[in-house]
Amino acid sequence: MSASAHNNPMRLLDPKVLASLANLELVAKAVVEGFVIGLHRSPKFGFSQEFVEYRAYGEGDDPRYIDWNVYARTDKTYIKRFLGETNSHLLIMLDSSASMGYGSRGVSKLQVGKYLAASLAYLASRQHDAVGVMVFADEVLSYRPPTSRSGSLQGVIHTLDHAEAQKGTAIHKPMTRFHEHIRRRGLVAVISDFYCDTQELLDNVRPLAVQGQDVILFHLLDAGEIAPDIKQSTLYEDMETGQAVEVSPTFMQREYRERIAAHIAAIQSAASGINCDHVLINTSEPLDKALHSYLTFREKRG
Amino acid sequence: MLIAPLFLLGLLGLALPWWLHRLEMQTTEREKFATTRFLEPSRKRIHVQRKLRYLLLMALRMAFLALLAIAFSRPILLQDPDALAAGSDSLHHVIVVDTSFSMREGGRMAAARERVAALLDAMGSDDSVSLYSASTTVATLVEPTSDADDVRELLGTLAADNGRLDFGAMVAALDPLLEQSPAPVSLHLVSDLQLTGQAIRFADMIPDVVNGLPVTLDLQPVVDTAVRNASVESVSVDSRDRVLVSVRVSNGALAAGEREATLSVNGVAQLTQPVPADVNGVAQLVFEGAAFAAGDNRVDVALQPTDTLPDDDVRYTVFDNSPPAPVLLLTTDPASLGVTYLSAALATAPRGYAAEPTLIDDVDARILPRYPWVIIDDLGAVDGALAGALTDYVRGGGAVFAALGPQSAGLSALPLLGLGVSAAGPGNDAAPVPIAQIDISHPALRDGSGWANVNVHPLKVTPAAEDRLLITQEGQIPVLLERSLGAGRVLLFTAALDNSSADLPVKPVFVSFMAEAAQYLSDEKLLVRAQTADSYLQLNQSGGASGQVIDPNGQSLLSLQDTTEAQEVRLQLTGYYQVFTPAGEVLVAVNPDQRESDLGQMSADTLANWQSGIRSAAGSAEVATDMALAEQRRDDAEEIELWRAFLLLMALFLLAESLLSARYLNLKTGTF
Repeated sequence: MSASAHNNPMRLLDPKVLASLANLELVAKAVVEGFVIGLHRSPKFGFSQEFVEYRAYGEGDDPRYIDWNVYARTDKTYIKRFLGETNSHLLIMLDSSASMGYGSRGVSKLQVGKYLAASLAYLASRQHDAVGVMVFADEVLSYRPPTSRSGSLQGVIHTLDHAEAQKGTAIHKPMTRFHEHIRRRGLVAVISDFYCDTQELLDNVRPLAVQGQDVILFHLLDAGEIAPDIKQSTLYEDMETGQAVEVSPTFMQREYRERIAAHIAAIQSAASGINCDHVLINTSEPLDKALHSYLTFREKRG
Repeated sequence: MLIAPLFLLGLLGLALPWWLHRLEMQTTEREKFATTRFLEPSRKRIHVQRKLRYLLLMALRMAFLALLAIAFSRPILLQDPDALAAGSDSLHHVIVVDTSFSMREGGRMAAARERVAALLDAMGSDDSVSLYSASTTVATLVEPTSDADDVRELLGTLAADNGRLDFGAMVAALDPLLEQSPAPVSLHLVSDLQLTGQAIRFADMIPDVVNGLPVTLDLQPVVDTAVRNASVESVSVDSRDRVLVSVRVSNGALAAGEREATLSVNGVAQLTQPVPADVNGVAQLVFEGAAFAAGDNRVDVALQPTDTLPDDDVRYTVFDNSPPAPVLLLTTDPASLGVTYLSAALATAPRGYAAEPTLIDDVDARILPRYPWVIIDDLGAVDGALAGALTDYVRGGGAVFAALGPQSAGLSALPLLGLGVSAAGPGNDAAPVPIAQIDISHPALRDGSGWANVNVHPLKVTPAAEDRLLITQEGQIPVLLERSLGAGRVLLFTAALDNSSADLPVKPVFVSFMAEAAQYLSDEKLLVRAQTADSYLQLNQSGGASGQVIDPNGQSLLSLQDTTEAQEVRLQLTGYYQVFTPAGEVLVAVNPDQRESDLGQMSADTLANWQSGIRSAAGSAEVATDMALAEQRRDDAEEIELWRAFLLLMALFLLAESLLSARYLNLKTGTF
């Protein structure tokens, strides 16, 4: 690696580089800071701390942002709002099913998902958004409701850090849980490989859209899944069901690619049908695309 | 069979291909994939085929290594030449017919022939048969043959002899015959199964069969019940010319007067008297007043009427009515103790000698040649003229037994021998000295056991180089020595025979010593005058050179050449044999073994044990001798080296492995 490449902060968005960092919080900081540095070249997104307005303090707001001078004068609690601050909630839903454990190049989809989730949480926290996380597989494995309180970011990262690939995928369970606990409008980022039925996904995500939630689907796929390249007939074992299927190289190079592309298109079509954003992420590529999509999505919805 | 089995350790190398294939199969067969929902199984079950190819390849490689290891261990195949013979169902019938003396009773021999004929009729078409007669010895009558007619032709000639059958000796003789049998043996024993024929050790009746082939004993008894039989057990003549007769009855009792006994001397019936009732199977008779001729007399006692086994109703005996042989005893005192001891000892010798004591001073040297040997009780008393005559007598073939009395002490040169004698004889108060060494190889000293407690005070004689020391004391002091002079010999006892300087005359060994010395010095070798039928007469005991033997039928047994060379003659007939030797005519009486006259039979239990013993011994021999037999047959078996075949197989496996692995490599690099 050259010296210029070394100094390029964008290199920190490469999942392979991130995998060498042991601390997930450090990963998030590195991703976001690297991403933000590159982002400042663009005037599109405001990330400066310019004051915009005062707003009455509400439940869930971080007390650190109460302007005590105003309180002294008016005896009312106001908090300061800055440029780029939307005061919204972000719930990250991370799929940790067994299929997320797949990775053809040393980094699994779950690891990339964790990096992405941590980076989103960090980014949101930096913009004073309340952040929550839900880790699910065939059921909800862990859940932290969105909050902007001090330490919430560490809690989210801790939850993400303990996620492990296991069991199958059942999208309806986390969605049901979401309906039960989240009433307030906000952002929902679903990170998954979406190996589920398209209709099932529609049925479960549509209520969120109806509820007014802004949903973005981060569709994680490994390069080995999108464009597998095998030289010989191979016996593949399903990581969730254990079922073994022997396939030929010809099939994998033609029919499979067509099938996986159709599946992606179907997910994409379904997402657009319910006014959701769909971002396909190749886990072998840097995460800037994902973060950029998120900011665009946030900007659009905010 | 493997010649170098250690190379089989190379079989451990089979684990290598197994391990390698296992690894390969584990790493290449399955891959994890996120989901198989978009996958479709290929139409060809490539992995199954590959797995099969892998297994086949692994099997080929393992087989190659196994063959390599086995080829190094040099396997050979032993082609057993007897395998075909052993595998067939044929049987070898060994028919043994008892021809001992007891088979003369009644119709036993005829029954035996019928039994053999029945056995021959029952033979299988593939069976072989051999025929043997068993008496004192086992004789081969028909060698193993598949033609039963060979045996049938000989049946008519089967006859009982005068021998005795011992089943232990019979089995020992049959052992090598059974071992050489190429097929399982059925041993048929056609016999009266006498109890007295049973071996002392039951194990002796079990053959040591080592060829592993089964042997079964088929008993063919020719009689069902024990038969009463009376026989003359012994006939002897006592010193008063009375003839003592003992009649033995087996398997029954003998009533008084039921039989009569007739005494014949030299073929002339002299006395007859009824046989009294037996007591515990034995009846005793005494004939008095029989007249005997001088010399050998043929004395036989016959029972009348005869029973079903008439040949043992008569017993032959030789009674030697010769007068005692005269022996010249030269003495200084005919009334001395020494003369008494000598005369008594000689009179009790088996041959019987009559000592003729004569004063040394009165003897006429011309009578010396009349005597085969001479005794001198004090050699020192012999004067010069007699000494010269004695020397001539000995050199001419005579023999002298001399002792050293008081007059021998201090002589510088003993007459006849010329040996010096110490002047100082043993004093009366001197302690007796036991003898230290005795040469029991000498014919006169065969019974050396009684000499241990004999104490002697010998005159010290300095032996000459040619003297043979027969008895000595500590310090090589001679007690008895021998010197050969010309054709004769001299035995010198270096003490007196009057119990003054040696206690030999009062010891029991003196009698046997004098008898043996007399026989040795007179050069007389006695034949055993009573022999058992089927035994051998040692002709060298008849007096030096061989002679002619005439059997009871008057037939000469020896050819002209044999008369000078034959050392023994088999006495097959009962009766009197005339043995003509250079020393004269001698009669030998031959009678059947008395045990053959007891017609009691072996019990059923004993016979059953005998049969099962042979069966189990042959069976156990089959197991126990497997290794030894294999060792023995390995030499006979043809060895076929198998390593060439293994190399050929290895080459084939290598070719197959190469083809298969080449296909497998194509599979890995190609596309579907």
